[in-house]
This record gives sequence, structure tokens and C-alpha cells, in this order.
Amino acid sequence: MAALTDTDTGAPAQRHTYQTLIGAAAMALGLVYAWGATGISSEAGYSGVGPNFLPWLVAALLVVCGAALVWQARSGGFRNFEPPSGAEGGDWDALAWISAGVLLNAAAIERVGFVLGCALCYVFAVRGLRRSEGRVAGGLRGTALDFATGFLIAAPAYWLFTKLLGINLPGLTGTGWL
Amino acid sequence: MDLWQQLLGGFITAGSPINLLWAFVGCALGTAIGVLPGLGPAVTVAMLLPITTQVEPTASMIFFAGIYYGAMYGGSTTSILLNTPGETGSMVTALEGFKMAKSGRAGAALATAAIGSFVAGTLATVLVTLFAPVVAKYAVLLGPPEYFMLMLLAFTTVTAVLGRSALRGVMALVVGLAAGLVGLDQISGQVRYTGGVPEFLDGLEVVLVAVGLFAVGETLYTALYEGRVKASLNKMSKVHMTGAEWRRSWPAWLRGTFIGFPFGCIPAGGSEIPTFLSYGVEKKLSSQPQEFGTSGAIEGVAGPEAANNAAITATLVPMLTLGIPTSTTAAIILSAFQNYGIQPGPQLFQTSAALVWALIASLYIGNVMLLVLNLPLVGLWVKLLKIPRAPLYAGILIFATVGVYGMRQSSFDLFLMYAIGLMGVLMRRFDFPTAPVIVGMILGPMAEAQLRNAMSIGEGRWTVFVERPASAVLLAVVVAVLVLPRLLALRRRNTDSPASAASTAA
Repeated sequence: MAALTDTDTGAPAQRHTYQTLIGAAAMALGLVYAWGATGISSEAGYSGVGPNFLPWLVAALLVVCGAALVWQARSGGFRNFEPPSGAEGGDWDALAWISAGVLLNAAAIERVGFVLGCALCYVFAVRGLRRSEGRVAGGLRGTALDFATGFLIAAPAYWLFTKLLGINLPGLTGTGWL
Repeated sequence: MDLWQQLLGGFITAGSPINLLWAFVGCALGTAIGVLPGLGPAVTVAMLLPITTQVEPTASMIFFAGIYYGAMYGGSTTSILLNTPGETGSMVTALEGFKMAKSGRAGAALATAAIGSFVAGTLATVLVTLFAPVVAKYAVLLGPPEYFMLMLLAFTTVTAVLGRSALRGVMALVVGLAAGLVGLDQISGQVRYTGGVPEFLDGLEVVLVAVGLFAVGETLYTALYEGRVKASLNKMSKVHMTGAEWRRSWPAWLRGTFIGFPFGCIPAGGSEIPTFLSYGVEKKLSSQPQEFGTSGAIEGVAGPEAANNAAITATLVPMLTLGIPTSTTAAIILSAFQNYGIQPGPQLFQTSAALVWALIASLYIGNVMLLVLNLPLVGLWVKLLKIPRAPLYAGILIFATVGVYGMRQSSFDLFLMYAIGLMGVLMRRFDFPTAPVIVGMILGPMAEAQLRNAMSIGEGRWTVFVERPASAVLLAVVVAVLVLPRLLALRRRNTDSPASAASTAA
């Protein structure tokens, strides 16, 4: 069935709460956009619509669509809702590991260089992904192996950019090799 | 004839060893990423956009087109053998293809998919060759009001027709429009929605959003929710079709082609509709309807697969002649053109004729390459399916970093990419379509500029949109697109629609 309603899947009440929150977030974003739009000039010249026209339209649409989503969520859930694939509950541990990897990389890439940053990101992410599969990621040896794998993926990509395309990516050294 | 002269010129350019090599690498890479779950052509092209600084336009367009094409061929292999379609276009292939593979006919399913893709891709390229110059000739006559209406049509189709919920489609589109607002206003140069962050002055890059939504979002989603989902790989069998299977396949290929092509041409947002439509038609016309959904019917693979490739090829018509992208990947290829300072549109056929014709010629060549890559060599790609999930997705994160960071070397972008990835998880979890975000982001600023230019022409009067005949016709089409599907849905509420059959089987 394409038009599975929420009541057919588990934990509908909780899902409706989240759906309401999403609608509310859209409305909040709409208000932020509306507030931003007040600061944009309406100078329209010959055209009658100025640089603030689309901002106001977007703000209004965000609020209206957000309100409609809230209404749907409060009255039986999003319409024509396809239940998402995968598990009912999220594996937050795994998410935390991957997030740590991506964010650490973002924070460190300009200090330790592209290759090491990415290898680090890989180590964290692969650990998180393994945990999500219920496998315990290995100890020191496994981690070292992961680091090497990440290094071997990141280094050629780095060389492609620095050596072949002449794009300056940050490195630990100024050589363009590491 | 002039047309053949130009096409011949295109073949000479596309046939140079270096361009052949680009086409081949593109096709092979495209097939690989099509086979691999988690990476699509949009993200791949997005991540490779930095090559536009070094590689000349013709070569990189041939390369990107090869990736786009190859991913469609590769995607069908995965949906037949693994039942996890990476591309929306191969969703329908998964229905019958997976069933066929389960009952030991994987080889025939792979063969009809690959040959069907080839037939449809080639026929559609012929149609592009014939039609695109004609469309371009007339498109020159269009002014800002007509362009604005065309973009409005694209917005309408991508949100209201596609997907299960028009509301969630519009929501996604508006998020895309909102993202497109960040930065300098094109016409007045006014700063909008930068929040004082200097990185936002240039606006949000489409690459960043695409990589965040698709690559990072997909990785996070997989780890969060799909860790325990076990994928079962079907057994391969000899890639071969019997005489009966040929006889059942070829009419389906042709029908699929002619269903798919028009949908790619008009801004109808991708190949989801034509593939479902073709599936429905084949199911109705089949001589063995009992095979559908049970042991797997070959027409159910042949038709949609052909429709998919025809639609993908046809997206070139609006992209090259009007500068309007109708799929996510087309949107990103469009920004590749912009990197070169080339604005696709009706003038493209005059100003960059050599490039356009080389690109079209490369499609003919690419289809032949892909047929070879995907039929005799299919076993090679199947090996890719054995890569375990954890290193695959962790590796995707590295490539995502390359693509996003390589763009303008700002670590701010990496934080942003992560945030957009989280948004991607939410969108997937709560069944929001993602294509409208990208389409809105790219077309939004263009549509705004056209609107304001149109209003200038009309000296501030909105009636300019109905006073010009072409614009009025397009407006009527927009209204029809909004109203007709709802009337049709009312009419066949009780009959079994292909969409509902699809999700039951999946």
C-alpha cells in the first residue's frame, strides 16, 4: 500500500510529535525569513517587484506549509506517508561516531592537512558504521588498519587535486604529497 | 544537410582519442557508482566539478554525461541483484528484476535491462539530435515572461506530480528556494540572508547541498537506521536471453522509449513517472500477466528500463536549449556549464555548437561503450556489490570531503555539509522528496531574475503573463498539470495503480 497511514506502523503518537516539530520548525524558519525580509529593500525600479519579493514569498510559503504540516501531524499524521526504511529506533551511538569523524575532520583539516584529517574521519566513521551493524570494532590493530585504509583512499584523491588539477588543498607539509 | 554536417563534426570531436578516453572513463565510473549503493550520479558529478578548472569544456561534458548515463546502466544491475535501487529511476526495475533474479533468471533480466537501455538511449539520442536544434530555434523567441512560466512549470511538476505528497514536495521546493536566496541578489546586488557570515556572500553552492543531502545524509541514515538490514545478493546466471524473451522484450523497449522521452523533455522532474507508467502499460499488455509480481516478468524490466534511459537522455533537450534542468544530475551538470561561463540556452547551439554536437555524438558512442561494459563485463561490476557496507560508506565521506572542500577550501563548508546531511536524514525519515530542494536552489534565482525582467517588460503589471500568447499557453499548462492529475486520481481511485502495486512488492 502506498498510502499507509501512520496508525499502521508502530509508535504513531511519537511519530506525530516529531512530525509536528518538523512543521513547527518550518514555520519558525519562515518567521526568521520574514524578519530577514524586512531588512531588504523593496526598490523595484520599473518592475514592481524588488529584491524583497521572493524573500517575502518564501517566508510566507514556509509559514503556510509548516502550518499545514502541523495540522496534518495533529490530525492523523502526514498524508500518504511512506514509512521509512530501516529500524524503528535510531542507532545514536553509531551516529555519534560518524558525526565526530566528520566534525573532527572539519575542525582539524587546516592544521593536520587533508590526508590525515580524512583518514581520521574514516577511522571514526567506519567504527560507527560497524557498530550499527552490531559488530564491535577491533582494538589497536584494527584501528591502525582502518587508518591505513583511510589514508590509502584519501591520499590518491589528494594527489589528484594537488598534482593533477593544481588545486591547493591543505597539507601537513607544503609539498603537496602529505 | 546542415544537421548531419554538424553531427559529423561532433563525431570527429568526440572521436578524438582523448575524448574517447574521457567518455570511457566516465561510462566506467558511472557504471561503478551506479552499481554501488549510496553514491549516485548527482553526487559524483558534484564531487568532480573541480576538474572544470583544468579540463576543457567539451572533454568534461563528455565525461559528466558518461557518468550520468553509466549510472543508469549500473543502477539496474544493483536493483536486479540486490533489490536496493540507488536511483529513483531503477526503483521499478527492482520490482520485476529482483523477482526474476530470485527465480534464477538474473542473466535474462540483466540482458534485457542493458540492451533495453542501449536501444532506448540510442533512439532517444536520435530524437535529441533531431529535436533539440528545432527547439533551440523556437526558444530564441521566448522572452522573460515565457521563461518564468517554464520555470514555474518545472516547479509545479517537480513538486505536485512527483512524490506522494504535494505538500511535502512544495515544502522541499521552498527550502531549496530559501537556500537559493542566500547571497547577493543578481539584479540589484543587494545582500540577502547572509547573517553577517562572509562565507554566505557567494551563496550556497549546489555541490555542497547535493553532497550533504545525498552522500552525507545517506551515510548517516544508513548508520542510524539500516545497520541491521541484511542485504541478500541474488545468484548470477548466464547473461543470455532466449528467443521468446527477445520477442517479449523488444516491443517493451520501444514502448518504454516513447513513454520516457516526452517526460524527460518537459520539465517533469526525472524518470520516476515514466518508469511507473511504462510498468503499468507492460503489465496491462503482457501475454503472461501472472508473472508480474510472482516469478518476475521480463517486460516489467525491459519497459521501465528503456523508459528510464529515454527520459534521462531527453533531459538534455530542456537543459541544452532552455537552460532548464529537469533532474538533480542535470542541475549539477548545468552548474558545470556555468563554471565555464557558458550559459545553456537557445544561443548555445550557435555560440558553442562544437561542444553541443560533440556532447550529442558522445552519447551515441557512450551507449555502445556501456553496452559492452554492462553485458560481457557485468561479472566485474557484480564484484563491487561484495564491498562491505562500513568501509564503503566511510570512504564515501572522504570523497564528500574532497568534493566540498576542494570547491573553495573552506572548512566552514564542511560543517555546513554535515548540517545539511542531518537535514537529509530528517527528510528521508519523514518522507520528503529531495529533488525539489536542488531544483529550487538552482532554478529559484533564475526564475526570480526572469520574473523581475518580465515585470519590467510589463512595466510593473502582472498581466504581462497573460497578454503574451506563449506565456498564457504555458500558464494554462501549469494549471493543467496542477488540476489534471487530481481529476485522474479521483477517476481511478478504486483501480489498482502501478504505484501501489510497486510499494506492495517492494
